[in-house]
Amino acid sequence: MSLYVASTLTNVALISFLALSAYLVLVVGEVSFGQQAFFAIGAYVTATVTAIFGGHIILALFLSTIAGGLAALLLAALVIRLSGLYFAIASLCFAELLRLTLLRIRIPLEIDGRSTGMDGPEGFSNIRWIFENDFEVTDFLILTVVCLLALLLLLFYFERTTVMLRARLVGRDSLLAQSLGVRPDHYRMAFIGLSGMVAGFGGALFALFNTHIEPQMFGVMLGVHALAYTVIGGLGAPLGPLIGVGIDIGLLESIRALSEYRMIAFGGLVAVLLIIFPQGLLSPRAVNRLWGRIRRRDV
Amino acid sequence: MDFLQTSIDGLLFGSAYALLALGFSLIFGIMKRINLAYGSSLLFGGALAVWLEPIIGWGAVGVFLVTVLGAAFAGIYVERLCFSPHLGKTGVMASMIASFAIWMQLDEISSQLLPHRTHSFAGIDIEAVSFSGIILRGDQILHFWVAVVAIGALYWTLYRTRFGLLLRASADDPDTAYLLGGKVARLGMATFGLAGVLGGIAAFLILSSDGQITPHFGLWSTFKGLIAMMLGGVGSLPGAIVGGLLLGFAEAHVTFYLGAEFRDILTFGLLLLILVLRPGGLLGEAIYRTGRLAAERI
Repeated sequence: MSLYVASTLTNVALISFLALSAYLVLVVGEVSFGQQAFFAIGAYVTATVTAIFGGHIILALFLSTIAGGLAALLLAALVIRLSGLYFAIASLCFAELLRLTLLRIRIPLEIDGRSTGMDGPEGFSNIRWIFENDFEVTDFLILTVVCLLALLLLLFYFERTTVMLRARLVGRDSLLAQSLGVRPDHYRMAFIGLSGMVAGFGGALFALFNTHIEPQMFGVMLGVHALAYTVIGGLGAPLGPLIGVGIDIGLLESIRALSEYRMIAFGGLVAVLLIIFPQGLLSPRAVNRLWGRIRRRDV
Repeated sequence: MDFLQTSIDGLLFGSAYALLALGFSLIFGIMKRINLAYGSSLLFGGALAVWLEPIIGWGAVGVFLVTVLGAAFAGIYVERLCFSPHLGKTGVMASMIASFAIWMQLDEISSQLLPHRTHSFAGIDIEAVSFSGIILRGDQILHFWVAVVAIGALYWTLYRTRFGLLLRASADDPDTAYLLGGKVARLGMATFGLAGVLGGIAAFLILSSDGQITPHFGLWSTFKGLIAMMLGGVGSLPGAIVGGLLLGFAEAHVTFYLGAEFRDILTFGLLLLILVLRPGGLLGEAIYRTGRLAAERI
């Protein structure tokens, strides 16, 4: 596998984590423009743990996941009574505030003659964990894909549990959920927290893979892209966001010949796709119909 | 004296923000949708004007006309492609994402129209006025009055014409408006066109007082318009004006006293604070409290 293909695939897998975190928020009926914040937190925590304190990758991933989840819970606690547009804008503010704050924090360090540490707009460089542990690009690709598959399996299992069904109910009609004894706010808090954990984990891998991170990488475009992948892919199953990522990055790579007019074609394509499939390709309805068919055949 | 000077500068600049926010508010009020491609359609107008300037001539007047018409045209295009196919209750998300996709598209088209990234934008030279120590830039005073006239014309359209009546009725309740014989089918297009005209005027004011246009203008104006609208109150026209002026005022003061790098931190911080403490914005709380928007998850 060539280096180019491997690193493209790794990027696809890394963005998939972010798309899955956007998916978890969308399941409870909220739109978040701020998932990139938790991604960034995961990335910076891992960078700090591995590059400055020389911590083990397992510890770094664990701490990043926790930090992402806690930050998401903090945001959720602040804005839990908001919904829809208000929630979307509040999450956007949160993410932009975090990014602007990261731009202002300058604690440059020198470790083994290499500059590292948070350095405002210059970013956090020399996150050398993959070099120190002799990870090839393909090795890292395997690690990322295995983590992603594990997460997907977990979500697939989760999909048929009562918790998930209730969460979907909250997303569809929170008034109905309330009258059935489901507390919408609890589910929303929990799922936003979970989404932060997923994003934090993805951000951790992102920092390790890129070896250099800077606040500009975590702009609003990243978050909105993740959201767009999920909506194109559909909210029916955890595979939806992955399909969205595949369509975008797959198409971007395949029509690179038209590179100058790429976004012109792609933007129009997404809009047309949404006219044909307003609920995304794997909409909850399509997934339920599919499940029904598979079950009938079993009987 | 510094305080007064900064306040006046801020308020003059804020009048352009108010126009941007009015465009957002109009669309939100009528369609209950958020148009992420708004800033890019204004950028498209501006870029088209710069591109056509050598062909048309006419100087600043030609640039103004093309900016406004281009923005209105782009607005209608966005409505046809992203909003009219998703009118149902489930279409909120789809229309938002579709408008994001068209945002990317319009940004790219504008970048193609502006090959050198930064292009000069026609301005109007008027001498600065100064009295008792306060300096007022001539073009900014003109801009302020243009904004006032545009807002006045908008209010006149909304409150003194049949078309305005129909728009307001449809904003209240589209079904009732339709049952009472209102022709609501093309209303979305008209709203987007109107918002495009307002935004195009704002874009011309901002770009000509900067003297240049870059492809970043799309993202920038979407953010500023959205923030000014949310500050004042979603869907409320007076709220949009207050929000725009307040944003200009706050930005000018923060830039003056703390430095430009704190400007955006304060803007977003202020907005988050207002959303947490007073979700409906400064003047729009009633809209949120009635619960209709909250129940419809918009």
